[in-house]
Amino acid sequence: MIALDIISDGLFAAIAAMGFGSISDPPMRAFPYIAILAAVGHAARYCLMTFLGFDIATASLIAALIIGTGSVWFGKRVSCPMTVLYIPALLPMVPGTYAYKTVFSLIMFLQEIPSPTQGSEYLQSMIFNGAVSFSVIFMLAAGATLPVFLLRERANSMTRGSRFI
Amino acid sequence: MTQEQVVETADFIARYLSHMLGAGVHTSRVVRNSKRIGTALGVDVSIHTSQKTATLTVKSGQLMNTRVLDIPAFPISFEWNADLSALSWAAYDRKMPLKEIEAKFDELISKPRMNPVFVLLMVSLANASFCRLFGGDVWAMLVTFTATMIGFFTRQHLTRRKVNHYIVFIISAFVASLCASTALTLGIDSAEIALATSVLYLVPGVPLINGIIDITDGHIQIGISRLVNALMLIVCIAIGMSATLMLVKDSLL
Repeated sequence: MIALDIISDGLFAAIAAMGFGSISDPPMRAFPYIAILAAVGHAARYCLMTFLGFDIATASLIAALIIGTGSVWFGKRVSCPMTVLYIPALLPMVPGTYAYKTVFSLIMFLQEIPSPTQGSEYLQSMIFNGAVSFSVIFMLAAGATLPVFLLRERANSMTRGSRFI
Repeated sequence: MTQEQVVETADFIARYLSHMLGAGVHTSRVVRNSKRIGTALGVDVSIHTSQKTATLTVKSGQLMNTRVLDIPAFPISFEWNADLSALSWAAYDRKMPLKEIEAKFDELISKPRMNPVFVLLMVSLANASFCRLFGGDVWAMLVTFTATMIGFFTRQHLTRRKVNHYIVFIISAFVASLCASTALTLGIDSAEIALATSVLYLVPGVPLINGIIDITDGHIQIGISRLVNALMLIVCIAIGMSATLMLVKDSLL
């Protein structure tokens, strides 16, 4: 049952990554690798959060690190810059719900200004959601970029000798 | 090298630069690739970038050409990112002359984009599986799928008519969430989840991640510009969605 949960989490994350990625027009050859990276990354984050009790920011960092490292290997294969593979793969992990809850709480706070108790509750919820969304987005991007800093030579010559242009 | 040649080289690098920045490639890659093409053609390239304009200096010995260029707003394209990066390496490795690089560049940027109907289907599927990841059941997924399809279709049409993109985001968020609010009337268990995920296809994930990448690379100004830009779009999504919530619920949230 647990294995099924993990697999279905990875599967749906892969579909989400391919779909949200397709808005930004990636090359067709990149799709299978985007799907693999997204599935592995999202399933890793799911495991870390559900079974090992990690918080969402640390789990996102580790998942992004896995995705970033994977995109170094796959990028050379399909002659795509790392960002072409890892940005779509990270998209299902972008904390969209937290991000717009931040703005919602702001709107609600403005409506509740006359009653200080309710108003401060919304203000608190705004800071809470804002802090979570900012740290998760930061951890996602930083984690995926870390392999670039470690393997600079390799990471910057992904498209060298590409046979696709 | 003569002054005309320097100007011609600068003309091309200016086009290359504005296409890459306009298509949402992170700054350090654009700078690195432009410098690489410059090296291949025997000139020094220095670039200063901001959100809507860039400054470019091309220098060869005592001759130089400096200009400020506008960055047009292209739709984000990872295909251009991959192809134009490969072009910069090809120019460098094969010592291509300027005419040949330009011809290849024109060929690469005139490739057709992905079929919009295919994108529409993919995005709807993606948002439906996103609904599943947040714990929605099959019916909620179906509602999200339909709502996303209608919302994204609206977005594609409004974008094609060159409507201001803030207005596009408010209207598409409103339309998608209004369609998803039928889940409440139908009495689906996870109706709240369907309603909340129906607008997530609009979240500008690429500029958000690009902004952080730019900041970690030290291009802090343009990184913050990108984040602020993305934040404005998120505010628009929230406005569109709160309009729906005011209609279908007595109070927000």
